[in-house]
Amino acid sequence: MALRMWASSTANALKLSTSVSKSHLSPAFSISRCFSTVLEGLKYANSHEWVKHEGSVATIGITAHAQDHLGEVVFVELPEENSTVSKEKSFGAVESVKATSEILSPISGEVIEVNKNLTGSPGLINTSPYEDGWMIKVKPSSPAELESLMGAKEYTKFCEDEDAAH
Amino acid sequence: MRSPRTLEVWRLGTVNYLKSLKIQDKLVSERKSHQIPDTLLSLEHPPTYTLGKRRTDHNLLIPQSQLTKIGAELHYTQRGGDITFHGPHQAILYPIISLRSIGFGARNYVETLERSMIEFASMYGVRARAGNKCETGVWVGDRKIGAIGVRISCGITCHGLAFNIDPDLNYFEHIVPCGIADKEVTSLRRETDALLPKEEVIHKQLITCFAKAFSYDDVVWKEDPSFILDTKDDG
Repeated sequence: MALRMWASSTANALKLSTSVSKSHLSPAFSISRCFSTVLEGLKYANSHEWVKHEGSVATIGITAHAQDHLGEVVFVELPEENSTVSKEKSFGAVESVKATSEILSPISGEVIEVNKNLTGSPGLINTSPYEDGWMIKVKPSSPAELESLMGAKEYTKFCEDEDAAH
Repeated sequence: MRSPRTLEVWRLGTVNYLKSLKIQDKLVSERKSHQIPDTLLSLEHPPTYTLGKRRTDHNLLIPQSQLTKIGAELHYTQRGGDITFHGPHQAILYPIISLRSIGFGARNYVETLERSMIEFASMYGVRARAGNKCETGVWVGDRKIGAIGVRISCGITCHGLAFNIDPDLNYFEHIVPCGIADKEVTSLRRETDALLPKEEVIHKQLITCFAKAFSYDDVVWKEDPSFILDTKDDG
């Protein structure tokens, strides 16, 4: 509990989103060199996307660590609804600091909804990467793919190792 | 103890823009599959306007039909950034490098590209600075001397930076450069009284500043540009 409060106040001080108040997800692990929040209850890819699997729908976005490393997002390109996405293949792109960065899908499936708010407000990815900044909702075609993704603890360590190595 | 990092540098002279895209596509694919180490292309383009992913062609101020009259081409690309001009006497670097192997995201990468250009400018006594928020690039006062526009795919970079040595700045009159109105474009020639050496020397200095900023241990200068310039079209 203390850790959760510390993380929340730190994130507030740094003006990062923690999404604590809005959902049952808790920032159980949030200590990393960039003070980025990692949420329990999500699965993570080593290319820094997250997946929230609820029933037959998987919501996908990029992590707080990813948005911090991108800088301010000014443009988002998303796929069409009813298109398909494939695990570890690009489904869209974001632009920040004159750089276009591809976003890779952690799982395969059919796109059932895209976040149209990101067209007018691409910065939601920075301010609310796990909530309002969600990118696509997918009907997973191979639910087993979720098993190979990282949990919160593993992803936190992955980020720390990645930052520490350089 | 990290393993030594090597950069392979190809100096290609003047290369047509579309050809340079084909070369980069091939190198990105080879870098992704670990067939080649981090690679840097150093080159110039004939007069060429390019647009980024957002296709901000409202920043081209003359009709496209007029472009051939002024001896220029126009190309749409997948890089970040707005409209820009490339031409003779502008030094271009296209790094095809793995950001994952250095733990860099877009922001760190672009900031290091800016630092490379700032360091290079300082060799001629020019005090350049990184752009303010939303003005990525390198500036001398309010005048832009270096532009950046990159693409990152599975952590591998392409496109890169363009530094104005002594290009014909009139070409910039036909665009709103980088989408920023009311700001001038400048060049090394304009900003320094120092005698500029041969461009070959200048390009090598810029490459060296890049290699230093990105902490490469080894720079391998590839001697036979025809090896990649003669890239066959794969389709």
